[in-house]
Amino acid sequence: MLVDLPGGWSPLLGRLAWSQIPYANPILAPLFVAVVIGAIIVLGLITYYGKWTYLWKEWLTTVDHKKLGVMYIIIGLVMLFRGFIDGLMIRTQQVWAVGPHSSGVFGSLHGYLTPFHFGQVYSAHGLIMILLAATPLLVGFMNIIVPIQIGARDMAYPYLNALGLWITAAAAALIMISLFVGDFAHNGWFEYAPIFEMQYSPGVGVDYWIWTLQLVALGTTLGGINILATIIKMRAPGMSWGKLPIFVWASLSANVIALTSFPALQVALGLVAADRYLGAHFFTAGMGGNLMLYTNLFWIWGHPEVYFVILPAFGMMSEIFPTFSEKPLFGYITMVLASMAIAGVSWLVWLHHFFTMGAGPYVNTAFSVATMLVGIPTGVKVFNWAFTMYRGRLTFNAAMLWAIGALFLLLIGGMTGMMLAIPAINYMVHNSVFVVAHFHSMLLVIVYAIFGSVLYWFPKVFGFKLDEFWAKTMFWLFSAGTALVFVPMYMLGFMGMTRRLEYVFNTGWQPYLDVMEFGIVVYTLSVLAFFILLYVSVRDHAKNRVGADAWGTSRSLEWMTHSPVPFYNFAVLPHINERDEVAWRRQHGIDNVRPEHYEDIHMPNNTGVAIILGGLTFVLGFALTWRIWWLCIVSLLAIIVLMIVRSFRGDPGYIITGAELQRMEEEAYRREAQIADSHHSHPVSGGVVGNAMAYQRNDSSK
Amino acid sequence: MDIKWRNWLKKGWRAAALAPILLLGGCAHNPYWIFDPKGIMAKTNLFYMIVDVVIMGAIVGLTALLVVWFMWRYQKGKNRGKYDPHWSHSNTIEVFVWGIPIIAVGFLSYFAVKGTFEINPYNPTVITHHMKPNGDPVEVDVIATDWQWLFVYPQYHMAVANELVLPVHTPVFFRLTSSAVTTTFFIPQLVGMIDVMPGMRTKNALLSNHAGEYQGIASDFAGAGTSWMTFKTKMVDKADFSQWVQKVQQAPGTMTYASFNRFAQPYINVNHHVVYFSSVEQGLFDHVMTEVMRGKTWPLPPMMTENMVDYMKKQAAEHRD
Repeated sequence: MLVDLPGGWSPLLGRLAWSQIPYANPILAPLFVAVVIGAIIVLGLITYYGKWTYLWKEWLTTVDHKKLGVMYIIIGLVMLFRGFIDGLMIRTQQVWAVGPHSSGVFGSLHGYLTPFHFGQVYSAHGLIMILLAATPLLVGFMNIIVPIQIGARDMAYPYLNALGLWITAAAAALIMISLFVGDFAHNGWFEYAPIFEMQYSPGVGVDYWIWTLQLVALGTTLGGINILATIIKMRAPGMSWGKLPIFVWASLSANVIALTSFPALQVALGLVAADRYLGAHFFTAGMGGNLMLYTNLFWIWGHPEVYFVILPAFGMMSEIFPTFSEKPLFGYITMVLASMAIAGVSWLVWLHHFFTMGAGPYVNTAFSVATMLVGIPTGVKVFNWAFTMYRGRLTFNAAMLWAIGALFLLLIGGMTGMMLAIPAINYMVHNSVFVVAHFHSMLLVIVYAIFGSVLYWFPKVFGFKLDEFWAKTMFWLFSAGTALVFVPMYMLGFMGMTRRLEYVFNTGWQPYLDVMEFGIVVYTLSVLAFFILLYVSVRDHAKNRVGADAWGTSRSLEWMTHSPVPFYNFAVLPHINERDEVAWRRQHGIDNVRPEHYEDIHMPNNTGVAIILGGLTFVLGFALTWRIWWLCIVSLLAIIVLMIVRSFRGDPGYIITGAELQRMEEEAYRREAQIADSHHSHPVSGGVVGNAMAYQRNDSSK
Repeated sequence: MDIKWRNWLKKGWRAAALAPILLLGGCAHNPYWIFDPKGIMAKTNLFYMIVDVVIMGAIVGLTALLVVWFMWRYQKGKNRGKYDPHWSHSNTIEVFVWGIPIIAVGFLSYFAVKGTFEINPYNPTVITHHMKPNGDPVEVDVIATDWQWLFVYPQYHMAVANELVLPVHTPVFFRLTSSAVTTTFFIPQLVGMIDVMPGMRTKNALLSNHAGEYQGIASDFAGAGTSWMTFKTKMVDKADFSQWVQKVQQAPGTMTYASFNRFAQPYINVNHHVVYFSSVEQGLFDHVMTEVMRGKTWPLPPMMTENMVDYMKKQAAEHRD
């Protein structure tokens, strides 16, 4: 063993021992029982209804980008819920543990969480919210929407897509199991050097953190490659770069960031692992290590990552505003340039996360000005959304409300961001709850955009709309919660309250913490409203069925195909004439045409390899965390062998014949005809209507 | 810098900041430490904050009003504004859309650069350019441990743990390092944050003309004891400071590297103990830094604060409380 391991180690189980199971913990033990009972019920129900085959064939082995996207979003929502519970626990600890006279339970002096547990809770909260809630949710939306918006039948690499999902799922599973086996990192989601070294974090928490992040990074990089290749190579005929829907541009810029930045994180984590596993000294204080090198490396990824999550959110807003303003996005080219500018500048600003490091004024001013440059394209975007509404015809349904909420949060987050960008201000509020409030404002822009998108694209994916009343109820509860939690948090920042206090030493802050606790209760109500929203919508789904163009004012290509989207997306690939193709067709009266003739199409086969590889990466991550070397070797070998075997076999895919396609399409048209407000489509021959091309001309000889 | 302008802005901001305070029941003193600076460094920070908030607030506020106005005017079915289904471009608007943020960022960049030099922790010109030639600055060597602060006064060959006492009207220069992990040194009403890192030396400075007691905080997470790693900073008259120095110099405790080795063992300062050391080994600060660079660490026991009550009993049993 190259490093001294405090506690025991055995060849069979590594560091794993009974004492690592927190069965005596008054919070975790009942939770564990509840989880086990819940799992037994779910598995029992699946068995009772005989759904295992369906689950395996239709979901677990699928390579359909829409189903994978839905599973990404489910993982994201589950983790969002877990992260929210962590947030609730943080707020409750801080409102309880104020001043020396506050009571304490469960072995803590004040409140109910000891520093060891409180640290784990907020570290998990941060990591989960950014990398296992926001990221899978956005990747899920990109997965579902991008191929349909560019008129493709699937992603460029369907199998890789499934692999990305299952590796992300493995990461989520790894962080969840850290609840019940061992402990999680307790030094913050981005960790610090040298506190993550063995001397200061002797447990397995940091190891869980390393391998969870590694898996997320791997999964997201694979996803990024796939989305980039899809956008570049799979566009429908006629879709030149200038006609690309704005969300696709946003996804493109975001994934350029993902592809280039995540490897930096993986290198940084690899070096941390070298320190902890091999006794290297990359980031130690002594022996030639440089601890600030870690901070630099982490944020060289960390800041681009921030834009990796905000750019798709901006793209979502850019889709929602025009649809419900009933006019095109203002300044399309400006918007594209702004996205690319943000993606570019994202590489030049990482040092603003640690202005207080003590770098000289020349370094600090360079990064300060670079950071403020981000404000220019972001400001442009805000103005463009505003002018999209100008001279429009605005419908304030729930999706639009979320988008407008995101816009206002962006104004607040942008304003406070410009404050933090100036070192002379930053010195006063860095590491204070002001910063926490700032980045929550920004991340809530993403959350608002995501909930707006859930409402906006739900009918496309599932064929029926979500309930407006409960969606609006949820919006107002959520917004009230946001105001009640984050306005006092900004105020506390100006009062000098710093981050991550397990015990709040100033009793003067109590009233503000009380308001925040009330705010988190309101948030809880909005979560309830979300569950009711799902229940009510599914119950009434027959009443809320929609046709291809669910909103009647939609603009981009995804609204041309049926709702729900058939697994082949487009029976015949459309020909793209204009930037907002669906709006253009509606305007020119060719929105209700359909092909006269169907050709055979080629689709990829399902594969079980991806989920097995995902399972094996989970085992590898777990074995590495607990230093069970034999299991590491076995699972790693299995992964390599399986990948080689799969690469030799490849996937020949399968053919859907034209006749079968025609049958499925006619059924879809019949279903649509039963919906009250849908148009009756008529077939066109040769794909040409007037002097416009509706469909791909098929000149190729069979 | 135009002092009048500065004061005028400050008064305006004070008035604005007062509004929520009044709403919250009117505390005796301003609880907004950031808006109530008592030292030249913190005061300069506040000035730049006001400039930034005024400029950005104007833009953000007007944009918000614009959005609200559009929302009102163009709501479907109200027929307040003209609907133009094709309008999506205007060169005039584009010029403003890009121009306003560019001008704002340009303007703020000027202040950002100026401010960074004024309160550069290594050479804050707001202090050094106004120092009396015969001024006698106080030097303090700050050593952060897991989880205490040791303030060494090399000019007086003495040290104090977990309390900082400084004279008013006197520039104070800090050198800072840490024995174990990274944290941040922060006194909200006096001076902004600076990282304190093991094996490295950072600097900071402050100057205050207001006697009083101010809260010092370890503002970056350094492990289990961070929440209790606070210290009071007392700004006192020069005469009181001399008296205090004499008092410390008569204290029984002394600080050598050997005793520092014990002092730096993990210790959660729940009861806010303040300890005086009448003499300090010469060059302790550099000695600690060198040892850390050679690989010296003060490791934490596993699961140390899994049960905080138990840990406090253990800490007391070791007679460290």
